[in-house]
Amino acid sequence: MSGPISIQPGETFTLNVGPQHPATHGVLRVKMEMDGEYIVQAETVLGYIHRMHELMGENRTYPQVLPNLSRLDYLGAMGYTHGHVLAVERAASIEVPERAEYIRVLMVELNRISSHLFWFGAFVMDLGGFTPLMYAIQDREHILDLMEAVTGSRLTYCYFRFGGLYNDVDDDFIGAVRAVIPRLRKSLKKYAALVTGNIIFRKRLEDIGPISAEMCRKYGATGPVARGSGIDFDVRKNEPYSMYPEFDFDVPVYHECDSLARYKVRMDEMEQSLRIIEQGLDKLPDGPIMPKKKPKLIKPPKGDYYQAVETARGSFGIRIVSDGSKNAYRFKLRSPTYSNMHLFDEACQGMMIMDALAMMGSLDLVIPEIDR
Amino acid sequence: MMKNIIKQALTDLFPSPGTVAEELGVETAEDEVAENGKKKKAKKKEDPPRVNGVLERDHAQYGYDIDVQLEPGELLAAVMIIDKAGFFIESITGVDWIKEKQLEVIYDFSRYDFDPCRVVVRTRTPRENPGIPTISKIFAGANWHERETHDFFGIKFEGHPHLVPLLLPEDADFHPLLKDFKP
Amino acid sequence: MGTQNVPSPLEEIPSSIVQFAAADKLINLGRVNSFWPLTFGIACCAIEMMATGCARFDMSRFGAEVFRPSPRQSDLMIVAGTVTKKMMPGIKVLYDQMPEPKWVMALGNCAISGGPFAFEGQYSIVLGADTFLPVDIYIPGCPPRPEALLQGILDLENKVSGWNRWKDPEKA
Repeated sequence: MSGPISIQPGETFTLNVGPQHPATHGVLRVKMEMDGEYIVQAETVLGYIHRMHELMGENRTYPQVLPNLSRLDYLGAMGYTHGHVLAVERAASIEVPERAEYIRVLMVELNRISSHLFWFGAFVMDLGGFTPLMYAIQDREHILDLMEAVTGSRLTYCYFRFGGLYNDVDDDFIGAVRAVIPRLRKSLKKYAALVTGNIIFRKRLEDIGPISAEMCRKYGATGPVARGSGIDFDVRKNEPYSMYPEFDFDVPVYHECDSLARYKVRMDEMEQSLRIIEQGLDKLPDGPIMPKKKPKLIKPPKGDYYQAVETARGSFGIRIVSDGSKNAYRFKLRSPTYSNMHLFDEACQGMMIMDALAMMGSLDLVIPEIDR
Repeated sequence: MMKNIIKQALTDLFPSPGTVAEELGVETAEDEVAENGKKKKAKKKEDPPRVNGVLERDHAQYGYDIDVQLEPGELLAAVMIIDKAGFFIESITGVDWIKEKQLEVIYDFSRYDFDPCRVVVRTRTPRENPGIPTISKIFAGANWHERETHDFFGIKFEGHPHLVPLLLPEDADFHPLLKDFKP
Repeated sequence: MGTQNVPSPLEEIPSSIVQFAAADKLINLGRVNSFWPLTFGIACCAIEMMATGCARFDMSRFGAEVFRPSPRQSDLMIVAGTVTKKMMPGIKVLYDQMPEPKWVMALGNCAISGGPFAFEGQYSIVLGADTFLPVDIYIPGCPPRPEALLQGILDLENKVSGWNRWKDPEKA
């Protein structure tokens, strides 16, 4: 990919990929200095959806903050609330029954598939193909129906409670999930035939947006962005939490470092999540979903506690600094997209703008998670 | 194991390696019942401030393995050791300890391989004129994290290439996460 | 409907052949059957807006599936998500660029009144889109279901043209 030959000062113009743009997946603004079609320099401007979740964590008690976490990353809300309840349970030493933990893993994996499906549709739409969006959202509706039957919401779930869940799943749900799995497998094959093998798609993405492993390390990129660059890092395997050690699944890693590799990582992850769901349904134990002894008022002892979980976009971390009262003293959210997006400023120098937008789509951005 | 290697490397930074801090006991306020039956709040026993040093923490209880507290002047040396060992930067954040009139900056580092070790580096600076050297020359990802910490707490990172508001509006002059902030 | 009494020398004209009415009524029918929304999804409600445009809930049966990225080509602005103080001038510029007649729909609790983010100490959001835009229709929910969005479009159709697609079952 040849870059600009020589730039005289004053020869560049500023292009605003503004807060209102079909490809920015939210309100993100990238100020680009352009030399014709090539980007000389890019600067990301954030803050257009800054709602300050961290201050809400300090002004409210621990249970009152629970619904907030879903609004951070609304496509993968189960993963975020999982991280939150695990962090508070670790801080306040609350036991969780086994059945509740298995159901949590099931829900998180179903949510991961629905998040990747939406990303898939939006990504191909960015590149110009509108049809896969319709198919992907239709498949996603099947999963959303399942979630709605149990939790009551389609998008921003508030299903987990400190210590377990608030609503148990019944045999109807298990039967419905078993019916959806072959349907999703068939859809994944259809996408592989329709999109992954398409010559135009491959030419748009192969060797576009290279991100080296060393760059990932300097910026702290995690998730499919790192796994597309050859880094074998998945919090579920490297720092196991919850019931993940009981499940047998692979972590897809590709070494080409380009946008196509990141795409392939996510498509393979959907298949692995289906495997986890099947195993979870077989292994689901009986039992209660809330612990017998649970503190009435959650007041973790002094200190700071950290919990990292693997969400659809990477490693989400939450740090709770507690001073013994019923509000957190400091409630820090480490969002994966924040670190992933930081790469973009350096990586897109010298690229053509169409390639930069393809790369931005492959990073899987959800802007409220960056701005928190 | 990486945990032991990095703990040794970081402990060597401190001048007298024999003074590794003991695990401080955690005290919480308890209500005492006075003689006439009315509840009376006991005076909270203040914890003595933590001394600089390296602590090893229980991962299952806290979520991280090594906990280092140091002065801002020793920060760059510690971060260079951590960078050479192949860690990646997870996040940087601040905490406002208004009672002690200090601002604390917490750095999180973690590893990509299967030898998990999470290192937390803390440093404190006075609340009136907070200044900490930047680590964005070592870890490029620290750029945005430090800008955000500056937004929320007002901490100046010396040597930062572009310390302007990141999440707040460009002309913002308030710092929302300070404990005495009124909107 | 019905016949019109026109003065002589014209005879009575049966209404099945000729209708006399203001041209606006016909033009309004055209307008409401083809709202062109502006793609302005800010946060979570944008996902439900996209799901409404897709195959299951199908906004296109009401003529409104043509999302235009450019404000010059759209006539319905759906404010879907929380409006922050930093974003507000941008939204006002977009609204001003839309040609008349134009309507605004506030989708979700955040656009109506700040939603779950209006807490004590909040410094950065605007408590509702109607503080700076003339909102025509409010759709509550967090996020509202796609069926609620469709009902909102039907209510807006009624508001603009006075015409209902079908009889309201409660009033029957």
